[in-house]
Amino acid sequence: MNLLISLTALGVVAMFGGILKFRSMVMPLSVLGLIGASLLGVYAWNTNQSFLNDMMRMDNYAIAFSIVCMAGTLLTILFFHFFHSENEIHYAEAVALMLFAVAGCAVMVSFTNLLMLFLGIEILSLSLYVLAGLRKKDLLSNESSLKYFLMGAFSTGFLLFGIALLYGATGSFATTQIAYQLGIAGMNGMAAMGLLLLMIGLLFKVAAVPFQFWTPDVYQGAPTIVTAFMATVGKVAAFAAFLRLFQLCFAPSKEGYQLVIGTVAAITMLAGNIMAIYQSSTKRMLAYSSIAHAGYMLIAVMTLNASSNGSILFYSVAYTLASISSFLIVMVVQQNRNNDTADDFNGLGKTNPWIAFALAVSMLSLSGIPATAGFFGKFYVFSSAVSDGFIWVVAVAVISSFISIYYYFRPVIAAYSKQTHDPVMTMPAGTQALLILLSLLTILLGILPGFIAGII
Amino acid sequence: MLLEIKTSATSTAVDYFPIVIQFVFAAGFVATTMFVTHILGPHLKTKKKLKAFESGIKSVGNARQPFAIKYFLTAILFVLFDVEVIFLYPWAVNFLDLGMGGIITMGLFMVLLLIGFFYIIKSGALDWE
Amino acid sequence: MNLSGVLIPFVPLLGFIINGLGFPKVSKRWAAWIGCGSVFISFLIASVLFIQSLTGSFESTTISLFDWIVAGNINVGFSFFIDHLTLIMLMIVTGVGFLIHVYSVGYMHDDEGFGKFFSYMNLFIFFMLVLVMGANFVMMFIGWEGVGLCSYLLIGFWWKNREYSAAANKAFIMNRIGDLGFILGIFLMFITFGSSDFDKVFAGSSAFATNDHVMVAITLLLFIGAIGKSAQIPLYTWLPDAMAGPTPVSALIHAATMVTAGVYMVARSNILYSIAPISLEVVTVVGLATAVLSALIAITQSDIKKVLAYSTVSQLGYMFVAEGSSAYSSGIFHLMTHAFFKALLFLGAGSVIHALHHEQNLRKMGGLRKLLPVTFITMFAATLAISGFPPFAGFFSKDEILVATYEKSPAVFWILAATSVLTAAYMFRLLFLTFYGEYRGGHHQHEHIHESPRVMTVPLMILAVLSTLGGFLGLPALFGDTHWLSHYLEPVFAANTRLTEHSESSLLEIMIVVLTVIVIAVIWWWCNEKYVKKKVAPAIVEDQLPLWYKLSYNKFYVDEIYDRVIIKPLEWMGDFFYGKFEANVIDGAVNGLGRMTVWLSGQLRKIQTGNIGFYVLSMVIGIVLLLIYGLSKMNLF
Repeated sequence: MNLLISLTALGVVAMFGGILKFRSMVMPLSVLGLIGASLLGVYAWNTNQSFLNDMMRMDNYAIAFSIVCMAGTLLTILFFHFFHSENEIHYAEAVALMLFAVAGCAVMVSFTNLLMLFLGIEILSLSLYVLAGLRKKDLLSNESSLKYFLMGAFSTGFLLFGIALLYGATGSFATTQIAYQLGIAGMNGMAAMGLLLLMIGLLFKVAAVPFQFWTPDVYQGAPTIVTAFMATVGKVAAFAAFLRLFQLCFAPSKEGYQLVIGTVAAITMLAGNIMAIYQSSTKRMLAYSSIAHAGYMLIAVMTLNASSNGSILFYSVAYTLASISSFLIVMVVQQNRNNDTADDFNGLGKTNPWIAFALAVSMLSLSGIPATAGFFGKFYVFSSAVSDGFIWVVAVAVISSFISIYYYFRPVIAAYSKQTHDPVMTMPAGTQALLILLSLLTILLGILPGFIAGII
Repeated sequence: MLLEIKTSATSTAVDYFPIVIQFVFAAGFVATTMFVTHILGPHLKTKKKLKAFESGIKSVGNARQPFAIKYFLTAILFVLFDVEVIFLYPWAVNFLDLGMGGIITMGLFMVLLLIGFFYIIKSGALDWE
Repeated sequence: MNLSGVLIPFVPLLGFIINGLGFPKVSKRWAAWIGCGSVFISFLIASVLFIQSLTGSFESTTISLFDWIVAGNINVGFSFFIDHLTLIMLMIVTGVGFLIHVYSVGYMHDDEGFGKFFSYMNLFIFFMLVLVMGANFVMMFIGWEGVGLCSYLLIGFWWKNREYSAAANKAFIMNRIGDLGFILGIFLMFITFGSSDFDKVFAGSSAFATNDHVMVAITLLLFIGAIGKSAQIPLYTWLPDAMAGPTPVSALIHAATMVTAGVYMVARSNILYSIAPISLEVVTVVGLATAVLSALIAITQSDIKKVLAYSTVSQLGYMFVAEGSSAYSSGIFHLMTHAFFKALLFLGAGSVIHALHHEQNLRKMGGLRKLLPVTFITMFAATLAISGFPPFAGFFSKDEILVATYEKSPAVFWILAATSVLTAAYMFRLLFLTFYGEYRGGHHQHEHIHESPRVMTVPLMILAVLSTLGGFLGLPALFGDTHWLSHYLEPVFAANTRLTEHSESSLLEIMIVVLTVIVIAVIWWWCNEKYVKKKVAPAIVEDQLPLWYKLSYNKFYVDEIYDRVIIKPLEWMGDFFYGKFEANVIDGAVNGLGRMTVWLSGQLRKIQTGNIGFYVLSMVIGIVLLLIYGLSKMNLF
């Protein structure tokens, strides 16, 4: 709870950075604040306290995912600071919106009441709608923002409808009460409808097929740094909320809907990966890849057993590390070469060996090659699905992973085995060091996965 | 709890019957009114009568054209603060029951609103020029 | 028991690392010191343990270094096991190995890959020691594969010659066939006993009835491994080709140590074999057939090393016959004496080759007795030893095997005895063609022939002493009840071996002694007639040869048969699968799948029109489908 309050206060303070002329302080303040909030989270570890009339509970699950989201936000803010230009008018507001968004994430991952879930999702989504339109003069950015808002509003309707139906069926918004009532009365028509509508709303938020349509357009149109934020922090929080909701409310009756989620997961993985192949823009390719990763993570939601929490957490960390660094590299390439097709990565291994190294590591991790974190992310998710007997889902997942190698390796191959006459890429100071740090973390987690996997 | 409403979990279709009646009544009222006004009202179709009514001022040009965003901004900000006042009513009604905790909560709410208001003024959203 | 035993394999490994990493920076002088010194240190440690075992202050022990493979119920430790059998093997490997290392200093002196050679040799010693010291079959297998690797590296040491590298490949590939059997045997052990540790496997085997299917299968699979490594029928053809390596390699790897690994392995698993008499019979038959066939081939070969190679194959057959007759200690005894005299023969042949500037053809030798006196005398001793002339080493060990087989089956005894005659014949033929008569090479070369340096002749002399006296470690019952070796190995073979202490065999032994002496005298006379007086040299033109000679000279066309029956069809299949099947079917399918995916991607991306209305419509359709599917899954529809 302290974590949440401090995050909100931090957002309010950052909001005034622009108009009260302490803009240069915004980044250090936010970074320190996020670290402080994470420490508050660590301090609250194992306390398992409930707040606001049992509407939220800061258990280890909530704290772990809050910290992951905050770490992602911290990285995004750092990179945003590196790359923002002096005439970026809404710098402070953008940072504030990211902080508000992560506050929303903290609510989403700690709810024990459906209203809080809804509130958290809305805090996150509204911030993201605005962030997507950060470049006011850019038509694509505007389009992205509007599309995201329209489709998001559409899906929110389903979410609310689902909550309302569940309320009708069980007479409560509290997850404990819902689980209790469903345990007594069993799944009736109204509850099942509510469950499915809630699922649809959340599937939209995690961008699973067939609710993925907004993702490529929005991800491509939004400023790259915002895309990185949406694709990592937003997605991780949405998955954490998704899994938490189903663990708390619907775990006993999982036989009924497991196959539905499994089917969606399989279609999502296949479609995401297949559509990614044809993309020439690396940024758009990463958007499709994020759809595919949603498919992999849905497997853990589907299995919904004791190991799901740990495997989704590990997957989130691995995915966040690799995604942020790959979006960042795309940003560097965009700035230097004015485009982000695979050809623009040509000769990166010669001109900027460290950037090429970070690119290779993050792409290997995203495609799940051993000795990177991404491998164990997939391994945990797949193995728990196999042990529950969902072999066909894992088979689809493995096949689609094969497909993904094709497009993930394209920029890496361009970087290492093609020549270029372009000059060495320049980038803000510190970018390279952070990229190397992220790569090393990815490799470290690929060798010693036990650090995170068993924590919750 | 504030948000808990006690119902029996095993509600049947019959329990929703009043809602159905209300729904029918509402829809019926709208339909009936629309239908009846067309029959009862006097029919006088002159050119001036068919023109858009704009508080007695003579209408000029097409209404569907873009105009300054400033109007929207002001309007939206007005609605925002207007709606937030609504929260004050239930609090005022239960003022005594909620006691000191209520005052603190509402104070916090107002402070947050004021921060937002401060931000709006400072960022120049209300400057017309 | 102290831990010094662990050092035995690792000192040569250290030598390998230094010489291997240092090559070619380390000077030849240092490479020689490191190479020989590391083996000598191992030899010293082994000797200390050996002396301890003689004085009785030694108990067989298992030294576990760490858990190596832990998976499920399987736990393979990286551990060593030392008992009396291991000690005998350790003494042979480090002792003979050290002598051959010293000899190599002289033999390889002018070779540019000197340091590399010693690093490979040290690596070989390391793996051989792991093989004999491993406390489980997996460790043994590691050593087994390691010595195979070193054998490959050393056969192809002069890899610039294409034939030599082809010989190396042949050795490696044929060994792989055997290794497959071995590793299947290990898997079967894991399935049956849940472990490959010697103690657990041997303890577990007591629960099985005689000739139980599983035990027969395990022992036969292990024996397939032994067939590959110890060059028995049908996998023996790699060994003669392996003579492409430098001669010290032939002496160390392809005579004294590595090829006897199969014999060691069967002896080590004697408890398993005793439960499976059927397997023992297979061992006997294979060993016997190999002994006869290769002796028949050896008698006509014109390459000095080829003769010795076939002789090795034949002698290995002897050892397997001994083990097949449950006379395990006799097999090990023969392994030991064979290591002495066969290493000596190879080193002597190497000395001759060295003196004649890499001439290996017997046709171009002759009359070297005066020119190479040390080599001649030592080789003469070795020839007497291998021919089984009393009281040289080979007599005792061979005599023991013959006696053991007679007790088991007189037929085997007679075949083996006849093979002994053949052995003596081809060995004396080799001796006469090399050292007696007149020199048949060019006159120019004749003047340059000189005895090898001391660094080569001293190991020859030491080995000659061992070949002469080594047999007294196992005096037969005839000469009193003092068979030292079989008593020494009693803890290992106690339950399964037949100690040759039967008094009724005395008559047989006397008969063997007398017969041996007479046969060798006859052969001596015959060789003298043929090669000294008539000056018959091995034939050159094949057409004039009698049929049996041609068959033998061409090694019974076994290589050609293998080529037709196995290699050619395999190559045809390879061509078919590579050229036709892969190009069309596999590549077609793989590339087709890839193309299909890309095509699908091109089609699927079209649904991302960018039109919100279409998006919402698609989502609504998706929602409806999902609701229908979900509700029907929950049986509410």
